[in-house]
Amino acid sequence: MSEQELAKDLGPLAALTIGVGTMIGAGIFVLPGPAVARVGPLVAVAFVLGGAIALLTALSASELGTAMPKAGGAYYYINHALGPLFGSIAGWANWMGLAFASAFYMYGFGQYVGEFLSVPGVEIGLLSLPPAKVIALFGAGFFVAVNYVGAKETGRLQNIIVVTLVLILAGFTLVGTFNADLSTLRPIAPFGYSPLLPTTGLIFVSFLGFVQITSVAEEIKDPGRNLPRAVIGSVLIVTVIYALVLVVLLAVVETPVVANNETAVVDVARMLAGPAGAALLLFGGLLATASSANASILASSRINFAMGRDGIVTAWLNEVHERFATPYRSIAVTGLFILVFIVFGDVETLATAGSVLHLLIYGLLNVALIVMREVNPPTYQPDYEVPLYPFTPVVGAIVSFALIGFIEPIVILLSVAFVVFAVLWYFFYARERSKTTGVASTALRRLQAGPETTQTAAPTPDGGTYRVLVPLAHPDHVDDLMTLGGAIGKANEGTVVAVHIVTVPDQTSLSYAAEHTEKFDLATGDTLDRAEAKADELGVDVETHTIFSHRAFEEVFDAARTHDADTVVMGWGKSEHGSPGRAESAIDELAHDLPADFLVLKDRGLDNSRILVPTAGGPDSDLSAVVARILADEYGSRVSLLHVAEDEETGQEFLEGWARSHDLEDAERIVRVDADIESAIKEEAEDATLLIVGATEKGLLSRLVRGSLVMDVLDEVSCSVLLAETKSERSFWRRLLG
Amino acid sequence: MAESLLSRVVVPVAGPDDAAATCEVAVPHVAAAGGSLTAVYVVEKAGGAIDKASVEQREEFAEEAFEAVRSACNGADVDCSTEIVFGTDVVDAILDFGRDTDASAIVFSPRRGSRWLDLLSGNLSAKLVKQADRPVIVFPSDGEEE
Repeated sequence: MSEQELAKDLGPLAALTIGVGTMIGAGIFVLPGPAVARVGPLVAVAFVLGGAIALLTALSASELGTAMPKAGGAYYYINHALGPLFGSIAGWANWMGLAFASAFYMYGFGQYVGEFLSVPGVEIGLLSLPPAKVIALFGAGFFVAVNYVGAKETGRLQNIIVVTLVLILAGFTLVGTFNADLSTLRPIAPFGYSPLLPTTGLIFVSFLGFVQITSVAEEIKDPGRNLPRAVIGSVLIVTVIYALVLVVLLAVVETPVVANNETAVVDVARMLAGPAGAALLLFGGLLATASSANASILASSRINFAMGRDGIVTAWLNEVHERFATPYRSIAVTGLFILVFIVFGDVETLATAGSVLHLLIYGLLNVALIVMREVNPPTYQPDYEVPLYPFTPVVGAIVSFALIGFIEPIVILLSVAFVVFAVLWYFFYARERSKTTGVASTALRRLQAGPETTQTAAPTPDGGTYRVLVPLAHPDHVDDLMTLGGAIGKANEGTVVAVHIVTVPDQTSLSYAAEHTEKFDLATGDTLDRAEAKADELGVDVETHTIFSHRAFEEVFDAARTHDADTVVMGWGKSEHGSPGRAESAIDELAHDLPADFLVLKDRGLDNSRILVPTAGGPDSDLSAVVARILADEYGSRVSLLHVAEDEETGQEFLEGWARSHDLEDAERIVRVDADIESAIKEEAEDATLLIVGATEKGLLSRLVRGSLVMDVLDEVSCSVLLAETKSERSFWRRLLG
Repeated sequence: MAESLLSRVVVPVAGPDDAAATCEVAVPHVAAAGGSLTAVYVVEKAGGAIDKASVEQREEFAEEAFEAVRSACNGADVDCSTEIVFGTDVVDAILDFGRDTDASAIVFSPRRGSRWLDLLSGNLSAKLVKQADRPVIVFPSDGEEE
């Protein structure tokens, strides 16, 4: 198993049970009482309606999740697409939504424990805590403590718990069906149809589980396949379970028996199967509410981490504990919120607060999907695509926001206040510190910015069709990069596209930077003038552009795609293109999927006179050969080929064949019969002026960028090094899915 | 001549503080023996359930710990490398890594935490020593109580 596989160890079933387990607790065990009291047997319709609304968002969440399988899920997608203002709203809503939901699950847990354990209520001054709340406080304290010290056993029970629950509920439904009396379902709507939507708002908290799945997306095996299955599957499964169990519940007994009954399923089970039935359902209720709370507490720490990574909350919150390896502060702070919510809330307030905050996120999530689709940045490559776009996300966004309007006015007021708080949080805290820019605003700025500073579509090439992109960041390296890029462009009768990428600090808007170039980069005109001069010297067509960007490194890949580049020649070093942001996995994805052939120059003063090309065959060494041939033709370089072999004879044979097939027969051939390739390269490179190394494996570039490249030779040789990695061929799977 | 126990040591680190404390006592010995050092951080996986913390979060944390290791090693001119490994059992993961890299010894310096903490986080030191298939070197920590 590779490390990558070990890091992602949630299989399809595990991912599915996170969703199902989290949802069942609320919908079956806690909410039927209050919901039936409001709408009677129509409650089944409310649950199906809630399921349908959740499903629309589940489709969007699946697409976004396969494109960005990152910790933090829903919050992350919204922040990424809509920027830190909406990111602040979504982050806080996601975090608090999970805290409210956890408080609600624990309250339900308290009601179930109260069935068999009599606990006295507590009076503290004006506060009177009923028994259920007292138990809920202890329960919440316990689960927060467990996650604070990080017992992994809690999570392992998840699959067993969920399978047990589904079996218990299936048995309940089956036995109930034989004892059903459909007449008890009439009248279906004893209170009319007007309470239907408010009730849907109340019970919507039963459909939050799939957000917990997206929060841990980084841990899911093969997210492209498993994430959509888990997210969509869990919503469908629980909707069916809810509808069946509720219809059976109300077909077995008269509506008043269920209405306002905190543990309705237990009483009905007692009627159906005596004390054993009651005990089973009681046990189910404890398991379901506890596992829901546990998953939500774990998911909330992911939201905190993602917010911290984007600079929306302080890094202090995400400190990892040395002994427990848990995000202990995040767990503790979330735990504190949960306890406060339990003390001051009742079941319905907690449920509706959880519902409203999540509806807010769901609405924004659908908007985020529309933005990602419309802007379509090159890194957005979802494996799963929402059906019937744009209809699905548009309807998803509208119904999610609309449902908020049917919830208690006081809760709506609270949520408005909450949004105001999050917006103020953005302006007074996150705005200065946020490390990200939304895809939406980047796209808007590109549209607004003048034609001189950006390009919208790839301009029509006036040279040949072959295009060499040369991203320039550091004025000292312009000549060297243009020398290489120019030669390649010329050899292919193509055009060199010199792009000066100006890094702009995150807090500065790009349009401001474009208007005040002198503040950011005095040399932008110079840099491009020099690039043009160099191109003219070589007699190759050239285009120049300036791009202002917050993320210079990522911009290289963007530009390679927008300009439809065949080859990219870029520098690498401390001063080039900044170092990428902290999201290394995003860089990984970028650099893993190369849009063009990449040549990366570690520039120690370019001198083309003596080139060394180590080769062991393979596509990346083909690229090295092509470059060496071009340089030899253009600058008269002397090329030496180096091959490390078992013995002299096979080595010579290989090199002869390789040189012939790569049109390098005039090159000097060196065969080394020592096992260590690196030291051979090092020794031979001593009298070379340029070393051209083909990537020996996929993702070389990404490892180089992250500084985790295990090729010391790059640092040990004294000449310049050119790394060559060929364009990624799209895998069969990718082609299949478009 | 038998190779020195300190020629290729593996040092499990639990975090930046732990790494700094361990390196402080261990690196001088490794330097004197002319050995090299590999720091390893284990990301404990739940094995098919939600982890206790985000993987990426712990990878960042490991990087902080590795920074401490690198600065200690560079100061003493000791060759060092770092590795993040994943495993459902921390001790097994450390021992497997030692086997894969053919380490001459596993080196650590027990943190003087309370009994209470040992109980909660599982006493890994004892388990590591018990299950080891190669030499384990324990350097007394000259650190204060945490």
